[in-house]
Amino acid sequence: MNPDLDLALERIIHAPRATVWRAWTDPSRLEQWWVPAPSRCRVDRLDLRPGGAFVTRLSDDGAEFVPHLDACFLAVDELERIVFTNAIDSTWRPASPAPVAMTATITLNDHPDGTDYRIVVRHGDPEARAHHEKLGFADGWGTVTAQLAARTEGRQ
Amino acid sequence: MAQYPAQLDGVFVALADPTRRAVVRRLGHGPTSVGDLAREFPMTLPSFMKHVRTLESNGLIRTVKSGRVRTCVLNRERLTLVDDWLAEQRRIWNERTDRLEQFVTDPEENRQ
Repeated sequence: MNPDLDLALERIIHAPRATVWRAWTDPSRLEQWWVPAPSRCRVDRLDLRPGGAFVTRLSDDGAEFVPHLDACFLAVDELERIVFTNAIDSTWRPASPAPVAMTATITLNDHPDGTDYRIVVRHGDPEARAHHEKLGFADGWGTVTAQLAARTEGRQ
Repeated sequence: MAQYPAQLDGVFVALADPTRRAVVRRLGHGPTSVGDLAREFPMTLPSFMKHVRTLESNGLIRTVKSGRVRTCVLNRERLTLVDDWLAEQRRIWNERTDRLEQFVTDPEENRQ
């Protein structure tokens, strides 16, 4: 986790880890929640192994499905972790995905109330991440940019 | 956000340079003349003007000429494009997690 580049989310999901894992790794289950309703999702490929394809399509009308995600798994650790990136597509071809290139890491851990579910999404744009938590921004922007500049320029 | 990809590209290109980021940072404290800005950077005025023009053409700053003095003003709205872009990424993953939780805590799903 690089706080200048990454987005992190953390949630306790009130279900057993195996159930959450199954919701992620069974195509018919993944389709139920991967895209926001009323849009519908179709999982074309869910090849759960490092280098395996992860391809989903999306439909607004339930008839015509358009490309949604064309990604590649980097790591798959049963019941524990899923890592994928859309920076290379499902055929390992370098890609310029819309809206953004990212590497997403999903981590599952047991928790007394269910599953400790964590997401880290890594991005390539330091300015973007640096600015992220500074919505009210003049001073925040200045501070984080200064920190960023100090590191990237090797001065100050 | 999807309707502004070209503008967003321009904003990131403009911010990819340390001199231009420093100008943005400096203008965060208030409008400043090109002459005053240029003195803070170890480069020739023509070189510095190239950076100013890049920032201006990508909408991050505006310049206003009054007499012989050209003043640079930060365009904060343009920077909010970056905010919007990131907020969108976070929103997507948050909503996805909401839906996942709803799905796995659905009694029907748990019976299977």
